[in-house]
Amino acid sequence: MEPETFLDHEMVFLLKGQQASPFVLRARRSMDKGGMPWHLRYLGQPEIGDKNRHALVRNCVDIATSDNLTDFLVEMGFRMDHEFVAKGHVFRKGIMKIMVYKIFRILMPGNTESIEPLSLSYLVELNVVAPAGQDVVSDDMRNFAEQLKPLVHLEKIDPKRLM
Amino acid sequence: MGVTCVAQVPVAEGKSVQQTVELLTRKLELLGAEKQGTFCVDCETYHTAASTIGSQGQTGKLMYVMHNSEYPLSCFALFENGPCLIADANFDILMVKLKGFFQNAKANKIESRGTRYQYCDFLVKVGTVTMGPSARGISVEVEYGPCVIANDCWNLLMEFMQSFMGSHAPGVPSVFGTKHDSVYGPADTMVQYMELFNKIRKQQQVPVAGIR
Repeated sequence: MEPETFLDHEMVFLLKGQQASPFVLRARRSMDKGGMPWHLRYLGQPEIGDKNRHALVRNCVDIATSDNLTDFLVEMGFRMDHEFVAKGHVFRKGIMKIMVYKIFRILMPGNTESIEPLSLSYLVELNVVAPAGQDVVSDDMRNFAEQLKPLVHLEKIDPKRLM
Repeated sequence: MGVTCVAQVPVAEGKSVQQTVELLTRKLELLGAEKQGTFCVDCETYHTAASTIGSQGQTGKLMYVMHNSEYPLSCFALFENGPCLIADANFDILMVKLKGFFQNAKANKIESRGTRYQYCDFLVKVGTVTMGPSARGISVEVEYGPCVIANDCWNLLMEFMQSFMGSHAPGVPSVFGTKHDSVYGPADTMVQYMELFNKIRKQQQVPVAGIR
């Protein structure tokens, strides 16, 4: 498939209950392609695994929805925590998805026209959606990441260290 | 997809649900309607976050998650008088992840199953509404395919329904009232089923609380 550009608006919603950690859902919509469904995503806790696995693994549920998603989440009891705009390119290699993008801060809440980049750098993300237990795909991911050196050092990191 | 009306038909006096369904389908077949397989609409009830976060004793809102065999890859999530979200069937998996916040009232699962008939531009579905093991009522869904504006074809729909439902033909569905001249969609049909299911549940005096 040909590389594509994208311009997305993502809103992160939290649902707080009696549990210690809130339930997080991400609602994303395309700002440059009309008529596309909204994208609702659940991401589980990242699992580091051992040295034999070359990527972080987390549970993921992707759902395409109608455009009243944010109203519906609010009705469910979710509250918007933060939002941002992501702009960049998406490349595909087999089932691998490589995204090169910049994150933009939204200066006025709800107004996706007035934005400023969070940093001059681009973020490079390599991900694969695969059935549970298919750790072999992480080998392909490492091989691909090797190709990007020395321009990009794409490595598996422990996200807890960054918090 | 056209404009659809969903109605409840009372069980005929001295007859069972099954016998009343047969009476209706026989009338349709006499009219010349053709059998076209089966259909199913189901509805699951969830107690929402409000009941887990809210103060003790406060009754939370109910959320309904529905499926319709006419849209086999979709899932419809609704609140009473609230928005209807149309999502991928993956939404069901999300509800499993959310079980700490939303409890499925399994005993409240209700569905309508039956035969799908085609009569010229009309699609008719006569279903038996069941909750658990027992038959609770009868649903009739009539769709007029060539039109998407409810106000433009309501009279035609009603006239057709009277031809086989007689005096049991329904009044204007409440969703039509809010549509005015806008385009009718699948979510409007699901809202009508949700209202019908709620009506049938209440008729049977099934307690909603205490089923969790």
